[in-house]
Amino acid sequence: MRYYKLVVMKEKTQRQKLLNFGISTLSLGIFPLIWFLSQAILFRELTELISRNWLVVVGIIIGSTFIFLLFYGMNFFISLADRDSRESLEAKMFVGPSIFMIGLFLFYPALRTIYLSFQDRYGTSYNGFDNYMWAFSDPEMLVTIRNQIIWLVFVVTFVLIIGLVVGWLSDRLNKGEAFFKSVVFLPMAISAVGASAIFKFIYEYRPPPLTQIGIINGIRVSVDREGYVCANNKIIEGVNRVVGDENCLPPIGWLQQRDMSNLPFVQNLDLDNWFNSIIVNIPINTILLMVIMIWMFTGFAAVVFSAGIKAIPNEIMEAGQIDGASELRVFTSIIIPYIKSTIVVVGTYMVVTVLKAFDIIYVGTRGDLETNLLAVKMLDEFSKYRNIGRSATVAVLIFVCVFPIIWFTIKRERETIS
Amino acid sequence: MSRDSQKWYDKPVSKLILITIALTWIFPIFGFVLSSFRPGESIKRTTWWDALFTGEIWSELTLQNYSEIFFADGLDRSFYNSFAVTIPSTIIPITIAAFAAYAFAFMDFKGKNILFLFVVASMIIPLQMSLVPLLQLFKSGAEVFGIRIIPALDLNGTFVATWFAHTGFGLPLATFLLRDFMMGLPKSVIESAKIDGASNFTTFFKLVLPLSVAGIAAFATFQFLWVYNDFLVANVFLGIYRPENLVVTSHVSQLAVGQFGEAWHLRTSGAIISMIVPLIVFFSLQRFFVRGLVGGAVKG
Repeated sequence: MRYYKLVVMKEKTQRQKLLNFGISTLSLGIFPLIWFLSQAILFRELTELISRNWLVVVGIIIGSTFIFLLFYGMNFFISLADRDSRESLEAKMFVGPSIFMIGLFLFYPALRTIYLSFQDRYGTSYNGFDNYMWAFSDPEMLVTIRNQIIWLVFVVTFVLIIGLVVGWLSDRLNKGEAFFKSVVFLPMAISAVGASAIFKFIYEYRPPPLTQIGIINGIRVSVDREGYVCANNKIIEGVNRVVGDENCLPPIGWLQQRDMSNLPFVQNLDLDNWFNSIIVNIPINTILLMVIMIWMFTGFAAVVFSAGIKAIPNEIMEAGQIDGASELRVFTSIIIPYIKSTIVVVGTYMVVTVLKAFDIIYVGTRGDLETNLLAVKMLDEFSKYRNIGRSATVAVLIFVCVFPIIWFTIKRERETIS
Repeated sequence: MSRDSQKWYDKPVSKLILITIALTWIFPIFGFVLSSFRPGESIKRTTWWDALFTGEIWSELTLQNYSEIFFADGLDRSFYNSFAVTIPSTIIPITIAAFAAYAFAFMDFKGKNILFLFVVASMIIPLQMSLVPLLQLFKSGAEVFGIRIIPALDLNGTFVATWFAHTGFGLPLATFLLRDFMMGLPKSVIESAKIDGASNFTTFFKLVLPLSVAGIAAFATFQFLWVYNDFLVANVFLGIYRPENLVVTSHVSQLAVGQFGEAWHLRTSGAIISMIVPLIVFFSLQRFFVRGLVGGAVKG
């Protein structure tokens, strides 16, 4: 009798298992796929069917609510399963869409990029390490890698240093701390495209008879030389001082300068001297573009550092001051060691951000004149030169640079949690 | 908070340094904003600082540029497009991530650790890694071992492509952050709700979601600004050559790279309109924004 009961239960579990398997594939595999396809197709058709203004309204409404259909639909299927297995199915239902979307939209494409980096320009036939050979031998690529290194070194260093100074000094103010931090932080809210537009206005160059409206050139052409009055198309002492007067400094297209050779003071230098030859080769346009990024991200560093400095216990700071340490000494031997981990976090963030910098270059110079960076080069190879293999290779290069950094961050984060 | 025992000579020096830095930071915006209110001809004729010194600027200030860029040049359309891209791209990943975070934080299931590792590991992947294959996926579908899983959808140039792209790029971080946040909630409350017979769905909507508002707001602010200010994804999935597909950033980039000649009166006013929304979000939600940024330090 007892034996019989056991067999029945076993049979039941077998059937249950089958049913549960059916329900779980339906609710975790097939339904999300159908959901994705139906939303995609529905919206694609809507794009053709309705007018633009309605499309925006409908898009916002559908896009924001359709996602709940996914969970309610899955929930409906799962409620068909028996009570015992519902709990584990529900857990899978909660996690499933996240894994599904990450897998489909991030993980699978990333794997495919690695695969494509070993393919030819159409992504159809294997060509070994050709793309990687190209990446480290093509002159344009070498310049891109050089720029990327310059960006990493200088942008990260300057953001950290200025951020530390602002964070440290504003913390010691009685009044106006929030004001100073907000001012420096403001560019963080602006898009990189907007920031680049702002700085292009500063670097603006116009061919000589025209007024120089960029402030750098505007000041440059207004500098008096050896008693001769220069100005930016202004009437001074009854004479109209025009831009391009041969006695005055000419304006310079700053973002077009790949080195210093167009600056007058360089032309008198002895170029055999190694130091001078370095000076001549300073890439002005790259530096000016880096300024944009430093301007954008310093505020972020300052705000994070200031929070770190505030977390230092007052006793430690006071102990340092009582011992007679100077302010600078307190800064270098108490504050910096205390917020070291914060500095590492911000540094990491900046390294990753610089490796993915795209907008500034795209708007600033379109990657021409030896200013390119990897992220722009990657898109150039794809859309300008139509070479999928090489584009994938550049993407893999970015990944290889980012990988150890973020891996390290996550590992450290896990250590602090546990 | 200020420290008490400061030496008398320190404060003026630090103030001076700070004021210098603040002025340097404000200066680029200042000339730009000023120029956006000047007629195009005046911008080209006299520089903004000369106009400021001579006082001529006060008579020429105008809102003409703004109405021209917004209504005649079609920035209004780009503006609405930006919202059509940004709002769903913020809500979709947060919803999915909140469900997943709940399961990771409060439920037991097989393979929990491995799945979470998968989420964390995908934070490493930079956006550039998935861009091109994702574009192909949306255009011509995908096959695995000769079996067509996803048909050719031809999605590129529609909003839905950007929603899915941003969902993929934002999800790992959102899941990670929200799980972290939910782990910090009192576990006993959730357990007692379950003992009272509340289903996971009810517990999630009625209890955990309201308790996680701060965490969700932090990520939402971050993601909203990130998507709104994004140019790369919009450039790739919506394109920059069809004017009806432009979002605010790509519109401003088209202005700034000189697509429309030397139109500085439009470049300035257009860029400033594009900054209004982020600035409002930034000033009203600054608290959440900073937290989201710090958390987002590892976004791939």
